[in-house]
Amino acid sequence: MPETIEKILKKHGRTTDELIPILQDVQKEFGYIAPESVKRISRYLKVSENQIYGVSSFYAQFRFTEPGRHGIKVCLGTACHVRGGATLLEMLERGLGISCGQTTDDKRYDLERVACLGCCALSPVVQIDRDIYSRMTVNRLTELLKEYE
Amino acid sequence: MTKEKKLSITIDNKKMEVRPNMTILQAARENSVYIPSLCILEHLPSYGACRLCVVEVDGLRGFPTSCTTPVEEGMVIRTDTAEVRSLRQEVLKLLLSEHPASCLFCGEQSECKDYQGTIRKVGVTTGCRYCPNDNRCELQLITEKVGLTETSYPVYYRNFPIEKEDPFYDRDYNLCILCGRCVRVCNDVRLNGTLSFKQRGKLTTIGPAFDRTHLDAGCEFCGACVTVCPTGALSAKVSKWYGRPDSQVGTTCVYCPVGCKVILQIKNDETIDALPDYDSPVDQGLVCVKGRFAIPEYVHSAKRYISPQRLTPIGYEDISWDKALDEAKERLSGIKPEDCLVVVSPQLSNEDLFVAQRFTREVMNSEEMFSLVITDLGADLVPFLDLVMHASSYDAINTAQGILAIGFDSTYGFTPIGIQIKAAARKGANLVTIGSYESNLDMLAETAHQTEPSHWAGMIDPLGKAMSGNGKTNIVIVGPDVFLGPERREALGRVIALRDVYKWKVIVAHPYTNLLGMLATGAFPGIKPGEVLKNGDKGSAVTIKGAAVYPDLQKKRKVVYVIGEARLDMVPPCDHLIYQNGLPPESGRKPDLILPACMFTETSGTTINAEGKVLPIQKAYEPFMKSKPDWWIMSGIAEKLQKRTFKYNSVQAIQGDIRKQIKGFFSMKKRLEFVRVGMKEGGEGTRDAALRGKRSPASREETYRGTPLASVVSGMKAIEERRRHE
Repeated sequence: MPETIEKILKKHGRTTDELIPILQDVQKEFGYIAPESVKRISRYLKVSENQIYGVSSFYAQFRFTEPGRHGIKVCLGTACHVRGGATLLEMLERGLGISCGQTTDDKRYDLERVACLGCCALSPVVQIDRDIYSRMTVNRLTELLKEYE
Repeated sequence: MTKEKKLSITIDNKKMEVRPNMTILQAARENSVYIPSLCILEHLPSYGACRLCVVEVDGLRGFPTSCTTPVEEGMVIRTDTAEVRSLRQEVLKLLLSEHPASCLFCGEQSECKDYQGTIRKVGVTTGCRYCPNDNRCELQLITEKVGLTETSYPVYYRNFPIEKEDPFYDRDYNLCILCGRCVRVCNDVRLNGTLSFKQRGKLTTIGPAFDRTHLDAGCEFCGACVTVCPTGALSAKVSKWYGRPDSQVGTTCVYCPVGCKVILQIKNDETIDALPDYDSPVDQGLVCVKGRFAIPEYVHSAKRYISPQRLTPIGYEDISWDKALDEAKERLSGIKPEDCLVVVSPQLSNEDLFVAQRFTREVMNSEEMFSLVITDLGADLVPFLDLVMHASSYDAINTAQGILAIGFDSTYGFTPIGIQIKAAARKGANLVTIGSYESNLDMLAETAHQTEPSHWAGMIDPLGKAMSGNGKTNIVIVGPDVFLGPERREALGRVIALRDVYKWKVIVAHPYTNLLGMLATGAFPGIKPGEVLKNGDKGSAVTIKGAAVYPDLQKKRKVVYVIGEARLDMVPPCDHLIYQNGLPPESGRKPDLILPACMFTETSGTTINAEGKVLPIQKAYEPFMKSKPDWWIMSGIAEKLQKRTFKYNSVQAIQGDIRKQIKGFFSMKKRLEFVRVGMKEGGEGTRDAALRGKRSPASREETYRGTPLASVVSGMKAIEERRRHE
């Protein structure tokens, strides 16, 4: 990890306006912003770790925990909500023992809610990694999850 | 300075002349026109966050914020129209929609006080006024000034847990209005960067990264955020329930030689808090954790002696001062000079030190004044003193081109120096650090070397050579890890070479508060009062005898008289130990006679800081119980011994004698300048081994008058632990 970080930093100047591009590159590379990355960036830009965290936590695009192997996104847009999206989410939260925005302890799943995936006719919709599953039910979702190790 | 052309403006129908380049808010405040603001901070650029300072300006659309609008010629400003008032009220209502408002709008407000007449803390906390800031709250004041008497919005209580896990201050972010003052003072004044806004929108909170504790996040615990907080969100643990102080006394912090001004907050003859003074020329209000938070608990420690005591076979017995002085007289009379050793603390005031040397020389006819500096530095005393006595003023850091910091970390001490270094580095100075651990300056350093102390000396020369030669000022900061480490001789020598050959300036960050005063007043073996001060045509060097400086610590004395020092492990064996201090000694050794001395808040005097400036120490209230000033006790014993040598009734009398004997001592404007000190005979080798054996591992601890701050100030324990094993 340290070498990769150094490589990313080398591509950027040492001015504070490079902070967000650096954070974006780090997130792209590692999937999240780790405390060690923040420390390295802090040294490189001469800005305190706390200030970097302040900036990055402002933006929804950055996350600070290691992502799970599979990302589950439950759509709660109007159509999906009406057709039971909320029930799906509740079942997932209970089944996985985590709430929205968290990762299971075994790093298997990430759970997130989204506002609309753009396919309301197929509602309720759940996205797992890059696959979209339509007309989802609690039973089918339970089965489906087993396929994602 | 060229005279600036004044601008004429009108505020609320009053014509006035103001300087250009200022904001409407500044102009108004200078002319005593009140405009409310919750985010403005003196010494920092305007921020424009709270929107309370809106005004009307002819020709400008809408309602500009006066803190961000510069004055212009002919401007017509109205600060108190009906529209402005209602706008401010609305802004304040929105601000208060996340702030518990029971203390602001309550029908029972006027009677509330009457029903709270129980024991203090219980009474305050069980009422609905649970905020420690009640009655000294800026928000209350502004609500009153803005004329808001009720709010139409429901109050959203964020229900954050109160954060109490860090030392020295508690945080209740339910009371926070997110004005941003703490974040700005932490980042822009202290250049520390512990606090920042986290998240956004209604989830916004304040704190360090990754939910770390402040201690882990690098907080200096300087309390600057607590001082500027307009609400009760941030509050000092020691003083939070005390309410408004009765009075304030400006004095000098005596915990280290920086010489920061602190403004003691006094209530019922007790120091409840100590605040920084941003206008102080020495430290610019940049006090460290010790000055800000470690004073009240130390000076009012429950361990303080309440009366003179004498050791009897069945324990200690309280005795009167008259008896105590008689006892001291009995022990001291008729003994030979070499049978008595006087131990003086470098943390005493100049006046106390002056009397201590008179006592030793004139009453005991001895030169044996031993002190912590001699134990700590051993055979390397002379190069150390050479650096300390010819230290630069702190301002030199501002203009320095190159800064070399060796073994120096300013997180919990020497913050005014550390912050100036950080500021210089930000402006482009070449900052190089050397240390065995990561220091708080490393983040801003051009290069940070982390190596064992044994390598340091070898690095100083090449680094110094590489950094100098540009004709600009360079400065080296020598931290305690240098001169208290085992390889100090070599390192100190190299630093002296840097100063003498390459003309570097030097600042030594040492813990011996009034070491310069000790040397100047002559409370040091072989140095007469004023002898080391540069004074016109007098000699330019003083040579002291090594044999006199290093006493034989194996030899048993009849009496050892310890003044203001609590580490008795460095005291040689003796028949009779007289112990004069405020708090009990550190080791198990039992003094035979205890003379309770005042704290620096209870007597006046002066101290000399590391720059050589003589700074005042102010008495804030009468001494605790039967405590007496050090000079009073020494003078009392001297009188009892009937030597007719001296007798002092006041600090002024001592200062008069100092003035007579040491020319130019109290010309406050000037820095005192020192001559060179050399040593001959027996300065080396033999004695050093004995001394070194005497040095306890605790010598690196922050102490005052020998007592570790961590043993009396609750929060300092956590600080000390972190400082040591970091």
